[in-house]
Amino acid sequence: MATLEVNGKQHELDEDGFLANMDEWNEDVALALAKTESVEMTEAHWEVVNFLREYYAEYKIAPMIRILTKAIGKKLGKEKGNTKYLYELYPAGPAKQACKIAGLPKPTGCV
Amino acid sequence: MKFGILVQEGPYNHQASDSAYNFIQAALEKGHEITGVFFYNDGVINTTKLMDIPADDRHISKRWSDLGAKGIQLIVCVAAAKRRGINPDVLIENARIDGLGQLSELCIESDRLITFGD
Amino acid sequence: MFVNRKAPHGSIYAYEGLEVILIFGAYDQEISAAFLDDAVLSLKKGQDTSEIGTKEFSATFRVLEAYGVENRYVERESLEQRGLTEEDLVMDVEVVDGATLRKYMGEQDVLLPF
Repeated sequence: MATLEVNGKQHELDEDGFLANMDEWNEDVALALAKTESVEMTEAHWEVVNFLREYYAEYKIAPMIRILTKAIGKKLGKEKGNTKYLYELYPAGPAKQACKIAGLPKPTGCV
Repeated sequence: MKFGILVQEGPYNHQASDSAYNFIQAALEKGHEITGVFFYNDGVINTTKLMDIPADDRHISKRWSDLGAKGIQLIVCVAAAKRRGINPDVLIENARIDGLGQLSELCIESDRLITFGD
Repeated sequence: MFVNRKAPHGSIYAYEGLEVILIFGAYDQEISAAFLDDAVLSLKKGQDTSEIGTKEFSATFRVLEAYGVENRYVERESLEQRGLTEEDLVMDVEVVDGATLRKYMGEQDVLLPF
């Protein structure tokens, strides 16, 4: 199984590169995960990651993309509540990429 | 009439997959159409080709595969399949792994959705 | 309409049923969810599964409204039989008696039982 080294600590990853143990997440781990996705974290990226983490803490799931855009538009401003904005930040798919960096479980892949 | 079929229980453990299969045979004989069979919950276990069954019993996964060969689509829910170790490597022929959106399609396309579960 | 009848945690039906509701919601289908028999326990506040090691998903029911599941029914008799009231539940629901719920069921195009 693959591991990710951050500050001298080994973090187990699953076969798709998601953090195996959600409790091990911190901002340095997030930065290292972002690197595996070739994503340069800016404030706008963090905004989405933090949003996902808060959403997960409250509802125990990552929202589907349509719900995510709606909820982000409501919380962070209308101009950010669309798929175009999110795909610019996370080109390989906000649901998958942003969830990975946020340390959330991988989406089950039904949609 | 167009029937969509939902199978929610595993083979041999429960009568649901036998009942579903028999229902489909009867419906086809009467000239009805089967829009597709969707496997969910433990129903996904119906579609593993790793089943090894003594000759004096019915071979449930082979039976489904033969039905698929006749052009009836067999859809296996990806999330339920992953949970139970069903992937394309072990999937029977003539079935496909797909999303729950396909169940939604089946509901829309069919006059009736018939559920076989517990 | 999704007809939820089984208790959470003892089997996977309640959880996988919830997953189907969420997907159908994302597909913009006109859907409703009914909770009766032991399924009302899925909605009970204050669940903690840490000692049995299963996933705790009662909080997830609270997204149903955002996923477009506007009609969420709970059968009154099922609540009463289990000593519960509307205040014990994690989300806003419409409590209806069994006869009304059966009438609603009769009006559906599709019933999906879990």
